[in-house]
This record gives sequence, structure tokens and C-alpha cells, in this order.
Amino acid sequence: MADRAASPTKPKSFNLTTALLLVLPLLVLGGVIALFLSTGGGLHLSAPAPVEDLKIERTVLKPGSIDLLVRNAGPQDVTIAQAVINNGVWPFSVSPSPSIPRLSQATVHVDYEWVQGEAYAVTLFSKNALPFSTEIPVAFTTPQPNSRTFWSFTLIGLYVGVIPVYLGLFWFPALRLLGRRWMVLLLAITAGLLVFLGLDTLSEALEKAGAVPAPLQGIGLVGIGAVATFFLLDAISRRQASSGKSEAEQRLSLAYMIATGIGLHNLGEGLAIGAAYNVGEIALGAFLVVGFIIQNITEGLGIIAPVLRDRPGLRSLALMGLVGGGPAILGAWIGGFAPNATLAVLFLAVGTGAIFEVVYEIAKLIQKDTARQPMPFTVFSGIVAGMLLLWVTGLLIK
Amino acid sequence: MKDKLTRRNFLQASAVTLLGTGGAALLGRGGQKATAAPMAQMDHMQHGGMPGVVGEVDHGKNGFNPTDVLTDFDYGEVSTLPGGQTLREYRVSSVNKNIEIVPGIEFPAWTFNGRIPGPTIRCTEGDHIRIHFSNGSTHPHSMHFHGIHPSEMDGVPSSGPGLIQPGDTFTYEFDAEPFGLHLYHCHAFPLARHIAKGLYGAFIIDPKEGRPPVDRELVMVMSGFDVDFDDANDFYAVNAIPFHFDQHPIQIRVGEKVRVYLVNILEFDLINSFHLHANFFNYYPTGTSLTPSEYTDTVMQTQAQRGILEFSYKYPGTYMFHAHNTEFAELGWTGHFEVLP
Repeated sequence: MADRAASPTKPKSFNLTTALLLVLPLLVLGGVIALFLSTGGGLHLSAPAPVEDLKIERTVLKPGSIDLLVRNAGPQDVTIAQAVINNGVWPFSVSPSPSIPRLSQATVHVDYEWVQGEAYAVTLFSKNALPFSTEIPVAFTTPQPNSRTFWSFTLIGLYVGVIPVYLGLFWFPALRLLGRRWMVLLLAITAGLLVFLGLDTLSEALEKAGAVPAPLQGIGLVGIGAVATFFLLDAISRRQASSGKSEAEQRLSLAYMIATGIGLHNLGEGLAIGAAYNVGEIALGAFLVVGFIIQNITEGLGIIAPVLRDRPGLRSLALMGLVGGGPAILGAWIGGFAPNATLAVLFLAVGTGAIFEVVYEIAKLIQKDTARQPMPFTVFSGIVAGMLLLWVTGLLIK
Repeated sequence: MKDKLTRRNFLQASAVTLLGTGGAALLGRGGQKATAAPMAQMDHMQHGGMPGVVGEVDHGKNGFNPTDVLTDFDYGEVSTLPGGQTLREYRVSSVNKNIEIVPGIEFPAWTFNGRIPGPTIRCTEGDHIRIHFSNGSTHPHSMHFHGIHPSEMDGVPSSGPGLIQPGDTFTYEFDAEPFGLHLYHCHAFPLARHIAKGLYGAFIIDPKEGRPPVDRELVMVMSGFDVDFDDANDFYAVNAIPFHFDQHPIQIRVGEKVRVYLVNILEFDLINSFHLHANFFNYYPTGTSLTPSEYTDTVMQTQAQRGILEFSYKYPGTYMFHAHNTEFAELGWTGHFEVLP
């Protein structure tokens, strides 16, 4: 050790002093924390009132009973003391226990003869008399996973996701006949569509983030999910670009990426529709489904835009349609049977990242295509047209 | 995208849905749910469950039991003044105290003598009354009696001693008049909060010649509790504890004459009411007349209204009594008479 210390030629080597300096702040930190916890550090931090947060994540209605799935999102244990339904105190039971540890879940069960189609307000009072409320806008038996409801959710997914995307793909042969300028226009339209969908997905993710228990930091999850997905896809595409693949192959993989991004977006749509169905809001469903079919047909268009000049096999086209539309079915299942705000936020965040990355890829493709023959207004009108297309068809849904 | 709907949005959306039935027709299957027509009754409707709480509050820890409050009359320390007038002296102190209102929920109450309602102060018309009030709480309070008395004995901030500061004492002193059923409460501002926190009680002045004898006299003070301080009651009760007389019916016998001193001191809601099942009662508003004004089974009282009910049961069995503001009933203001043969 002595000669190491004396040796100026190896100043960067790891020695005991470095190790000590590395560990010292951690030790001191531990000491400060211990001191603070034992003495309060001279601050008077005891709360004048208890801080409690209980999220009623889901209500499950069965004939003659209401179950509330709750999660303690506060910093300390929450004990449920009373249950009030529509201005009546009702006997209830909680499993596993009325005392719910931080971030744990519990199920509050109330025997209650609710009436089909009526609305209910439910309030749970904690031991500290803090009320936590939820509302059941339209009461009806919550769909339980069985072959019939499974098939209904599958149908919903088919209608809003798979069918429209495939319908869009049928335009492939006709679009192949277009000239270069029209193909660039179509790519620009696709970029516009995706920008619109990306914003939509992002806003949905941010809105849902509010329903995520505070300690799980919904907004943070949106950021992590979106940014990680963006850069992961970017890395994958760069590796492919440098792997010596032909341009046609790269365009095909771009088409797959668009399909993936759109698929994630449709997963989000499926989640929302499934969840709406779950709480009875699907009353406006038929009209909504028609709107989705019209809107999502443009998604099929977007998927094939990069490969119009190539000859992708039928199999590739079928697979793209499945990747783009199929997730709507998966989303409807999850949203319908096991709605979970945190999971939904993650899916939507991943969708956001994927969609914006794909926009970036399309932008690169357009740049390549217009390198020799610039057509700025084609690109401009394509992007605006793409966004307007979704805005106008969106009028049917909103 | 597909926003989560509130009920109002939902109703609006239902209207839009009707416009969209053209679209619905394209999708017969999906359209089945898209009806805005009234829904049919569920075929499995049964009448089993009743509102109520799970478990029971700790009366020992609360320091009072609503059943005991029914028949607990404070006649004061009685002596005779030189002129021959009867003197009654009462001791009342205000105390901050946590009261378990419903199982599991403690309400940070303000009380007279540690109970809700405060002691039922009872005397006879013409008696001289001295109430030695000491403020043992952390806020200024007062005692405001309904009745006829001089301004400085009115217990309001603007006259006499005004509010009694924590640790201070004051003796409210006046001749008891008129006979009837009255009440007292703290008159510090904000008044609604001081009353809702529990500072109230019944005040009975008997007529000189007395009322006709009955077998049982019961005091019922109707009130509510705003446990989350949003200026709306979360629970309602007679003698403070919701559902208490559901869990512990009041036992009487067939043919027994029952007199109920009924006082409403409910904050935040405009009215309260009392409905007796399978029976009718004579009603004496404010108890200031010995002739009943009404023979009925339901009376309505606004805050500070009160009256005397007299009835007896013809048949044995269990009979409900409750606020016929049924919302209050299901939030705690419900009880039973158990009529023994």
C-alpha cells in the first residue's frame, strides 16, 4: 500500500482511500437518517391530521351484492370503519382485513339489492372519518369471464381493431399504381395520422395517470414507458439500417413498426372500450363502434404506405393487419375483466413512444424519397390531411 | 378518446345515442345495450338486508349510553329561597371529548358534561334556576337557554358576560318560564359548528300543577354528525348514537302510557321528523299547552322546534320509530319499541 501511495505513475488506481471516500458519504447518510428518525432532527413533523388515501379501483356488481376493490395509496395504514351507499349506512365485510397496509388491496363486500340501470354513490369512511367515494353511474351485473362475455369482448375488438385495419389493407393493389409524388403524399398522410394518434394516446395516458395510486407515480410511468419505447425502437431500427439489409427490407420492417405502434394504440382503445363496457357506459357503444371502424380504416392505410413500391407477400400483409388490429381484442379483454389503471397507463405510454418513433422513421423515409426531388407542399398537405382525417372521423366518436 | 363518463355526461350521451340508432341498426347485436328506455326491475329482488352498522360503539369509553339518556333527568340541587321560591342549582361544564359515533369512527366532539346530548335540565315553572357553567374546553363557549329571561342571561356574545373563555365560569340565573319543553345550546359563532359539535341538550319546565301522570317519560334529542366537516351530516341519530335503538329496542308494555320529550337540534338539514309505526300519538307542540294540538303518527320539526308525544301501544310486538326523512333513517335515525304483553 505504501508503495502504491508513493507511486505517482498510477494515480487512478483503486486504493483504500478511494474506497473509503466512496463509502463514507453512504455511511454518513445512514447516520443522518438514523439521527433524523430517532430525534426528528429538531423539526416538528407530526401531522395535525392523518394523511390517508384510499383508491376505489373497481366495483363489481353481482345479484344482491356490491364488491369494491380498494387500494391504500396513502403513506400509512387505512382502516375502513363504515360503508354508506346512497345515503344509507350498510353492514359490510372486508377481506382480508378492514385494516389495509400501504399499497395493499382489499375487497369490501356489501350485501345490497341494487337495481338494474340505477345510479349509486358509495362512500367508505376510514377510522379517521375521512370519506372515500366512488360512483356507479349505471348498475348492472359486472361481466364475469365466461365463454359468452369472452366472445363479446372478442367481437368488440374485431369490430374496432382487426376489421378496419384489414379493410384498409385491401387498398394495397390500387395504391400500388400511384406515382412517386402520390406515394410521398400517402406517407405524409400516415405521419399526420400517427401524430394525431400519438397525441391522443399521450393525453389518454396522462389522464389515466391520475387514477394510478400516488406512490406509483403515474406521470413518471408515462415518461418512462414512452421514452424507453421510443429509444428502444430507434436503437432497433439503427441496428437494422447498419446490418446491410436492402432498402425494401428496411421499408418492410418500417411497415411492421407502424403496425406495432398502431397495434399498441388499438390496445389502448380496446382497454378503454372494455373498461367502459365494464361500468355500463357502452350504452353509446353501437354508434361508437361504427365511428371506430371508419376511423381505424385509415390505420390500415398507414401500415402499407411504406411498402407500396415493394411486393410484400400476402402473409406479411395478413401479419401486419393482425399486429395492427389484434391488440384491440386483447385490450378489450383486459379492460373488461381486469381493469387496472397502472397497467393501462403503461400500455398507453408504450403506445405513445412507439407511435412517435414510427413518425420519426417515416420522416426519415420521406426525407430519403424527396432528397432528389423536393416536394415540400406535398409533405405539408399530407401531414395536415392525415391529422384532419382523424379529427373529422373523430367527430363521429366524441 | 373514450372519456370516462359521469352520470350527467352519460345521460347526454344517451340522447346522442338515440340520434345514432341509424348506426346501431347496422350492428344489431351491439345496439342491444344502447337503449335509453327505463330498465326493467331485476327479477331477483329480495328484501333481506337492512341498513345498519357492524358492531357497537364503546359506551363505557364514550361515558354515556343513549338508553340511559332517555330517562336521565337532572333536577339540580334543590333548596328554598327566603321568599319561599324553590331554587335549583345545576353544574355544567363544557369538555372537548372524542365520542365514538359509529363503530370505528371517533368524532372530536364538544360536550356539556362529557355527553351528547348534555344533561336534561328539568325544573318546575316559577322555580329560580342557577346554572353554574364552567368552560373546561379550549374554545370560548356559552349556554343559551330557550325560555323567558333577562338579556344578560341570554348566553350570546353580545350581551351579559358574552362568551365564557376557557377556564372561566359564569352562573346563568333566571326564573323558569314558560312551562313546556325547551332546549339549550352553545351560542358561540360559528354557530352551526358549535352546535353540530355536540353542545346542546333538552330543558324541561314542568307546569306548576304537573302533567297528567304516565308510566314512562323518555327524552329524545334528534341530531346529526358531520364527521368529515363538509357542512353536511354523515350520520343521524336520536341521543347521539346512530342505530342505537335498533340494536337496543326501548322496552315498554302494552297499554303503558308513554310520554316522549322530542327535541330537534339537527344542523345543516332544514327539517327533521319523527314517525311512530302502527300507532298514533297526541302531540303538544313546545309542550306549552296541556291540550294536544294534533292526533297523528308523524311530526315535522325544524331546528330548535320541539314537542311532547303521548301514546300507548295496543298490541305487543316490535315497532319501528324513525325520521320520515327516510334518508336520515337509513343513516342512523332509526329505532324500535319492543312492546311486551
